[in-house]
Amino acid sequence: MDQENILVMNSITKSFPGVKALDEVNIFVKKGEIHFIVGENGAGKSTLMKVLSGIYSHGHYDGDIIFDGKIRHFHGIKDSVSEGIIIINQELALFPNLTVYENVFVGHEVGKRGGLVNWDKTKELAKKFLDKVGLDVDIHRLVSSLGIGKQQLIEIAKALSQNVKLLILDEPTAALNEDDSANLLKLLVELKKQGITSIMISHKLKEVEAIADSITVLRDGKTIVRMEREEINEQEIIKNMVGREIEDIFPKRPVFKGSEVVLETVHLNSFDKQLNRYIVSDANIKLHKGEVVGLAGLMGAGRTELAHSIFGNPKKYRVTGKIIAFNKSVNLRTPKDAINKGIAYVSEDRKKDGLILLETVSQNITVANLKKISRFSILNFSKQNQYAEKYVKDIDIKTPSIFQQVGNLSGGNQQKVQVGKWLFSDPKILILDEPTRGIDVGAKYEIYTIINDLVAQGMSILIISSELPEILGMCDRIYVIAEGVQTAEFDIKDATSEKIMQSATL
Amino acid sequence: MEENKKVGFFQNIIWKIHKYFLTLISMFRTNIRDYGMYIALTVIFVTFGFMTNWIFLAPINFTNLLNQTAYVAVLAVGMTLIIVTRHIDLSVGYIGAFMGAWVVVAVENNGQTVLVAILGALVITIIVGIIKGYFVAKIQVPAFVVTLAGMFIFKGLLLLRTNTRYIPTTNVFFEKVGIGYLPTVEVGGFDIITVSVGVVALLALVLTGIMSRRKNNKLKIPNEKIELFVTKMIFMSGILGYLTYTFASNKGISYLLLITVVVVVVYHFMTTKTTLGRRIYAVGGNPEAAELSGISVYKITMFVFVSMGILALISGVMYASRLQNTSPNHGPFWELYAIAAAAIGGASFSGGIGKVVNAVIGAVVIMSLKNGMALSGIEANMEPIILGSVLLLAVVFDIYTRNVRPIDLVGIHFAKHRFRDDLKTAKKEFSLAKKELNHANKLNKEDILEYEYKLTNAQGTLNKLRDKIREAKEEDYTDLTTIGD
Repeated sequence: MDQENILVMNSITKSFPGVKALDEVNIFVKKGEIHFIVGENGAGKSTLMKVLSGIYSHGHYDGDIIFDGKIRHFHGIKDSVSEGIIIINQELALFPNLTVYENVFVGHEVGKRGGLVNWDKTKELAKKFLDKVGLDVDIHRLVSSLGIGKQQLIEIAKALSQNVKLLILDEPTAALNEDDSANLLKLLVELKKQGITSIMISHKLKEVEAIADSITVLRDGKTIVRMEREEINEQEIIKNMVGREIEDIFPKRPVFKGSEVVLETVHLNSFDKQLNRYIVSDANIKLHKGEVVGLAGLMGAGRTELAHSIFGNPKKYRVTGKIIAFNKSVNLRTPKDAINKGIAYVSEDRKKDGLILLETVSQNITVANLKKISRFSILNFSKQNQYAEKYVKDIDIKTPSIFQQVGNLSGGNQQKVQVGKWLFSDPKILILDEPTRGIDVGAKYEIYTIINDLVAQGMSILIISSELPEILGMCDRIYVIAEGVQTAEFDIKDATSEKIMQSATL
Repeated sequence: MEENKKVGFFQNIIWKIHKYFLTLISMFRTNIRDYGMYIALTVIFVTFGFMTNWIFLAPINFTNLLNQTAYVAVLAVGMTLIIVTRHIDLSVGYIGAFMGAWVVVAVENNGQTVLVAILGALVITIIVGIIKGYFVAKIQVPAFVVTLAGMFIFKGLLLLRTNTRYIPTTNVFFEKVGIGYLPTVEVGGFDIITVSVGVVALLALVLTGIMSRRKNNKLKIPNEKIELFVTKMIFMSGILGYLTYTFASNKGISYLLLITVVVVVVYHFMTTKTTLGRRIYAVGGNPEAAELSGISVYKITMFVFVSMGILALISGVMYASRLQNTSPNHGPFWELYAIAAAAIGGASFSGGIGKVVNAVIGAVVIMSLKNGMALSGIEANMEPIILGSVLLLAVVFDIYTRNVRPIDLVGIHFAKHRFRDDLKTAKKEFSLAKKELNHANKLNKEDILEYEYKLTNAQGTLNKLRDKIREAKEEDYTDLTTIGD
């Protein structure tokens, strides 16, 4: 065995009831490199990392893990951490109600003697490691008061304080804005110089091109290819990821010609009583029939809040201003009012507030329009199932049956269930909030195709997205929102990512 | 391999029976969650029956047991919906007792008619339900705290209403409801009316079962396997038959039982067949998603608390009627029995899961334990200990069986037959690789990793084969329609 490989995972197989998540996966990572693992959702990336970190302990998978020249049998995360393998998940494992320095050393407190913690030393060391990751904050602050980008850095400082040899980051930039992402990537390169090897899982191929030394592409639980630095290019990666060539990421549709306005907000303001500030100020947006309008901006800019304010204000902000739908001023006090007016909202977090994961595909598709499948409040199950079958077919939801629990479907298919659910409410205006977050290239393309079909049928669509290519590829017109304020409006002909970013960052 | 070999007639029959039971056991193991409670109930019945020389199951005791269960069952129905929507209601015990006291005192001391007294109680309980719902859903006070406060308040109100005195009642309404039975027409020691009701229920059960299968077939909705359906029907008919025999040979159908059955039927229908039921479960499954789907979480929460209050009123009146009195000592532990019944019935405290019928079975389990232990002379102090243990066991069982893999023993039977030789080879190679690795270890060979790889590969092949067998399905082996071995 050559000594330059810090990690070899040999022929790893892991099965779950009914599915083989990993099928003889082979990967190796050289000492001191930044290695990316890429693949569509459900390709097995996260499962592979769980095997490596011991969450799926030895004996529950087949194959060998060789780390630092020895075969390792990890039984739980503690074992892998003690060897210096540290994994940072997409959902950060921080304690929001503890301070920064407490978080850095939680679980491996310093100066433990008879169970007492040496707080002076803790603070001193915390400061040191935070400096290393370039984070300059008061260490007495609560983690909950920091932005997600800074929280990410605290996680890395925590890893450094545990003598990390191999740092694994699972989609670290998914929730970060462009600046924070760039910072993080720079930091990884910096750490590489200090001899720390990292494995990164990412959907953002630009990042891969920017800093990867090598990548492994997984598809359907199998290793497809390992590519070295000089072979890496986006087209090739996508081809390997999806197993076919995708010429156009965004399917074409005819240019929008102009038509009547279906939705308009006039001086719309929303005040959040809990945050005690305006989250939407003076929004004046227009949506025409058959048009796709994008709401661009950074995370937390107030785009979702604007959508909520239009969609019946479920979070009970104090909303002032006017909403005009189909040439009538409307008062939308609850989501139900909005639904009745022909507005639908596909939420950004499908698991948290989009779907009922315990329930079946058929139940989820029909839940927003029970009237259509009932008479005198009594449900008609055959109707329910017929409609469910129709949408499963129409938008190609891949599920064993309409009686499958939605929680068991992959991200892309869950998203399609959400879309199906809202199409079932017969909307004329569809608001899509981050419609392709966390879903793979193939499923993305299918969602875009659905959007184009709907627009062709005369539906109007408002897309909220943090991915600029998506905004530029899909929309006819674009509004940019920054800190609750509408800062710019572009026709697609004039829009460029530079212009949008400039307006988004104020 | 000659797989479709000719087999004898008897062999074929034996295989058919064998297959029937394999299918049945597969279905049972796959859906163990749904049947666990019935198994537990059967075990309890048989055990106590045995311990009491079958007095436990004799018509007179069994009727009595169900009458005892009624007030808990009614509370458990309401509690299930509360739990499904992720809340809890600790106040219903004393609310129920208070409502009972309200009605009895109104009739006995204040000279009101029963109807007026009950309408008064109904208004109170609805208002109380709205107040609870308002605090929980609007102000967002945890239901635990709101209803704990309610528990204290209604304990006090109960004391006030009864003036801390035991108040008996002789009113005919309470007598009818509490210890009365539907009119009977006796023929040869059996009540004809009860028998007819039993027969009608039996026919309805079988016919609706068959009809829904037909309908499913037409709509291409998967039906449960015929083997399971037939067994279920036989089992249910047996129970219905036994109940009919019990009631018919005793005093007929009690009003307590009638009220309970009506409540259960109404709630079962409401939860499974109406939009309101769907909304309740949607709110329980994911309140945020429900709100964004146009369902008012506020209204639904309001509804479940008001419904709970009305059921507490019914329960309290049933209890006071059965004892023909009201007393400051009524009320304690009722809500906890109801919560336990719902939990034993599989209601999930993280919301979205729970069936009212199962909660009623849970109530029967609890009351059977109480009744059976008293009857078989087990020391009374043991009762809560055993009850607590059963509750814990039931919930542990529920959690353990949450992710049961579907299993198809017929498929496994076929697969084992087909892959017999492959399996043998794989096993042989695995043990060989193991031996070689041990040997290499002893000799401290340099290429030890190679042997490790070899072992891993052999194990992989073996595991794959075993997985294949474990996950085999009957449909995949249609070519092996006759006996496997």
